[in-house]
Amino acid sequence: MSELIRVTDVVILAYFLALNTFYALLLVLSIPEIWEQTRLAEDEDFQRLMQSDALPPITILVPAHNESATIEASVTAILTLEYRNFEVVVVNDGSKDDTLERLRHAFELYEVPRTYPETLSTCPVLAVYRSRTRTRLLVIDKENGGKADSLNAAINASRFPLVIAVDADTLIEPDALLRLTRPFLLGRQIAAVGGTVRVANGCTVKDGRVNDARVPRRFLPGIQVVEYLRAFLFGRLGWNRLGGSLVISGAFGLFRKEYLHAIGGYQTRSVVEDMDLVIRLHRHLRQHKIRYEIPFIPDPVAWTEVPESGRILARQRERWHRGLIAAMWQYKGMLFNPRYGRVGLIAMPFFTFGEMIAPLIEVMGYIVTALGLALGVVNTSFALLFLLVAWGYGMLLSLWAVVLEEVSFRRYGRLGDLIRLLCYGTLETFGYRQRTVWWRLKAFFTVFTLRQRWGEMTRKGFEDAGKQAAGSTSS
Amino acid sequence: MTSRQFLLIVAVAQGVLLVALVILIILNRWVRVRRSARLNPQRIELDGVMQRWSLGQAPSDEVLRALARLPVPVAIDGLVTWSARIGGERWQELARALESQWWARAVRADSRSARWWKRLDCARFLSVAATSRDIGRVLQLLRDHHPAVQLAAATTLERVGSSTLVTAALEQLPFLGPTVQAYYASVLKRARPAVLRHLQQLFRRLDDPRLPRLIEFAGRLEEPVLREGFTTLATHPQAEVRTQVARALGKFPHSESVAALGFLVEDEAWPVRAQATRSLGMIADPKSLPAVREALRDPEWWVRLRAGLALTRFGAAGRNALLEAEMGGHQEARDMAALILGLSPQALAEYAA
Repeated sequence: MSELIRVTDVVILAYFLALNTFYALLLVLSIPEIWEQTRLAEDEDFQRLMQSDALPPITILVPAHNESATIEASVTAILTLEYRNFEVVVVNDGSKDDTLERLRHAFELYEVPRTYPETLSTCPVLAVYRSRTRTRLLVIDKENGGKADSLNAAINASRFPLVIAVDADTLIEPDALLRLTRPFLLGRQIAAVGGTVRVANGCTVKDGRVNDARVPRRFLPGIQVVEYLRAFLFGRLGWNRLGGSLVISGAFGLFRKEYLHAIGGYQTRSVVEDMDLVIRLHRHLRQHKIRYEIPFIPDPVAWTEVPESGRILARQRERWHRGLIAAMWQYKGMLFNPRYGRVGLIAMPFFTFGEMIAPLIEVMGYIVTALGLALGVVNTSFALLFLLVAWGYGMLLSLWAVVLEEVSFRRYGRLGDLIRLLCYGTLETFGYRQRTVWWRLKAFFTVFTLRQRWGEMTRKGFEDAGKQAAGSTSS
Repeated sequence: MTSRQFLLIVAVAQGVLLVALVILIILNRWVRVRRSARLNPQRIELDGVMQRWSLGQAPSDEVLRALARLPVPVAIDGLVTWSARIGGERWQELARALESQWWARAVRADSRSARWWKRLDCARFLSVAATSRDIGRVLQLLRDHHPAVQLAAATTLERVGSSTLVTAALEQLPFLGPTVQAYYASVLKRARPAVLRHLQQLFRRLDDPRLPRLIEFAGRLEEPVLREGFTTLATHPQAEVRTQVARALGKFPHSESVAALGFLVEDEAWPVRAQATRSLGMIADPKSLPAVREALRDPEWWVRLRAGLALTRFGAAGRNALLEAEMGGHQEARDMAALILGLSPQALAEYAA
């Protein structure tokens, strides 16, 4: 028994060493990436270029399900983006609240005949509306079929070659579209581009715009700011140099429509449609030997409201992990398959062994260490040292994300916000991390029992949230 | 080494790194605050001097001194900003004066730098301060392997009227991605005379694979002198060339254009027919109405759609043609006419765009 515990301990140690080495690699690779991206983002000529006629037209796809609280502000903000040529297709996916009524009232909608072919099959479309006040807006009312189904309906109705999927509860920065098209302007073979998603909780929001970026004072959303920074600023940037990530956030990603058609659009049975879509894109493009890139660029920003209650956050994280497990299982044929190049040999193994099974290993580590302590196989100082190293590494990664934010985009200018970021980065390890491990662990039990559904979340509405944040700041 | 020792080393390394990161964050803030405190007054001073110089109240030497005091990228930013406000001979005068400045010479020398951002700075500088002596440098930057440098260099074409540069940019145009191509095209439009001469020469190379992209670009210029070249190419063996010719001819309301489009509307390739139908709608010559009406019976849906939309541009005659088709015996023409007649004016405008 004691030998088994010792061997398991060594295996777990080796696992964390390998995983952390890979994270360190991502961390190192993110440095030249952020340097290059910051240089390009600051380039004045690009700003001039982006005002020109050369910009490719874009269709913005906005799926909405029970988004009554935020839909008007979100759509208004999207319609006033700084971009020359774009249209907005909002899909009301059988909302049970007054989402459609709000849209109808706010944008003076009128029904029009459907004039586009249904290339991707979707749940029945009930009606198509145009706006009397906003010529760029098209609203589709359809039966409930889930987010992926709504996105497919929006793709069917889109007219332009590039489409961007945006969550209705997401606020896009005015110049985000201009920035997101930068890789196209650099003449690269782009299949999709991802931008940064940041946490809107605690920020002051006016007219659908984040006016003042703040780090929330409340613990749960505050910690998620660090998580998002870590995920986007060094995780995905590092992947740019390793053949592209498997994830482009469903809340903010630009895709070439012809490729979406080629892979049959979003898969409606998928738990997390964004990851599923990107993996299928990689698979299709690699199989057909099409040259492509799926880069992430950090300066286009979209703000999203994150869960403030543990219950909703738990559900969200469980769903994300369930989606990861389902995707890794479904596309296991790509794992270690040289046919898929770096995606099959680096990205898929990392997401399977680094991300997917990490909570299992971590829990096993806790159990084995506790057992070893109880049986006297592992002494206390060694166990504490092990925990210190494991947790210290997490802190290091969080602080590194804060450093990248500080040297590049610096959205959080106040000293108080910086201190809060550092505190959350440090405190995350104690308690929060273990909770996320538990939520992710639950996904292993639910993966084969639960079907996909909209990630239900109670919305406060951005402006209300902003006022509350402002109130809490002043108090 | 035991696993305990290994962990201890890792823990110490982590501790050192954590402290280093916190120090880095604090230092970064401090340096930024100091830098902006130093630079902001200098920027304001440059703006003031530029303002006075533009009004003729300050000599150019004062501008040069203010620029020399700034870090090079900030000085380039200042030049780029002000070049948009001050143009013509006065700016040329400043560009010439800059040639003798040490920092401007250093920036020019960066055109051969191994670092792409240095070459980008050079290209940005030349886009506002290039003189005829910089043609070689700009040519080199136009052919740079970094796309950002190429794009910045292309902007120089607006300022330096050189046929060598225009030719180089035009030669490169067809090999660029669609978005970059559109940008190059928008820049090249401003160097019109040199571009037109070179395009006419290129039109004569019938087997040139770049021809479709060049015709597409030429069509955007809407220059009457090119119309004859387009009509000549209407019989080109390549469908892509004919499609681009059909697209371009829509911008030239001329009897020869209508005749060429009347020929292309019966082309064997449907993209050519669709484009020719659309262009006939843009010209809306009553003589071409029967051809467009006939296109409403085309076997291809897209051609029928283009024909339906084109008919809406022929006024009452076109509308009558659509109403006739809606009641007629040809099933597909009937469906398309019904679809078009059901569209709102706004939807029609959007389709036309």
